[in-house]
Amino acid sequence: MAEKRKSMIKIKPKKYKVGDIVKVDFIVIHPMDTGMKKDKKTGEIKPAHYIDSIKFSFDGKPFTTMKVWESVSTNPYFSVKYKVTGKGKITVDYTDNQGEKNSKSKKLKPKG
Amino acid sequence: MERRKFIQSMFSASAVAVVATPMGAFAKEEKKASKKGPNDMSFDDAVKAITDGKEVKDSDKVKLSVPEIAENGAVVPVKVNVDHPMEEKNYVKAIHVLNTANGNARCADIMLTSANAEGYFATRIKLSKTQEVVALVELSDGSFIKSAKSVKVTIGGCG
Repeated sequence: MAEKRKSMIKIKPKKYKVGDIVKVDFIVIHPMDTGMKKDKKTGEIKPAHYIDSIKFSFDGKPFTTMKVWESVSTNPYFSVKYKVTGKGKITVDYTDNQGEKNSKSKKLKPKG
Repeated sequence: MERRKFIQSMFSASAVAVVATPMGAFAKEEKKASKKGPNDMSFDDAVKAITDGKEVKDSDKVKLSVPEIAENGAVVPVKVNVDHPMEEKNYVKAIHVLNTANGNARCADIMLTSANAEGYFATRIKLSKTQEVVALVELSDGSFIKSAKSVKVTIGGCG
């Protein structure tokens, strides 16, 4: 049931050291249907389908949680800042209102 | 004979039409009502739910950047910067992004911690028509500050 979604985590800037503040961008391909739009082919109203919660964590420790509603655009993009404390893995877990659960992770490799 | 039948059928058809039009209008109205989203909430209700009746001050500390004119309401970039320290006991607890005229006034609630090191959040939202975008910020001492900016929307993006 769980559809595999395309998602991406970007760390900006590309080169960073311990103690730097980096931007963590998370982008996911998701329709974010509001439950008000009609399907162009069948003419039926599409049911609401949107991401409702997101959790950013570093090595299992959550540092940012979000509650999201359907007013966020299709293929949403979320960006927060994070202070690099050392080597580790940033994981983003997200669920949508139809119970789909996914996660994406990226390694943090500070230099110097 | 032929003519009488024809006229009779004409009458019955028109009667059906007369009955059918109000029914059609009614059906249309029902459809309009069903256009409401699944979790609609007005702006005032949303603010009340977040602040629990506490006072919200306008503040320069919250820097909200949105375009003045959005050509496409389906993709409106929103950036919030809070000029506040992010220490262990004095930090930005949450950023709430709200709108004033969409069916659901809530866009996103972001709970931050001191590990974020900066009160920053960016995303893209949908706006149905020209309205205000509000960033409501909760600080760790329980106080609320906000900043609002109006966005002109040329084409609505809420379907």
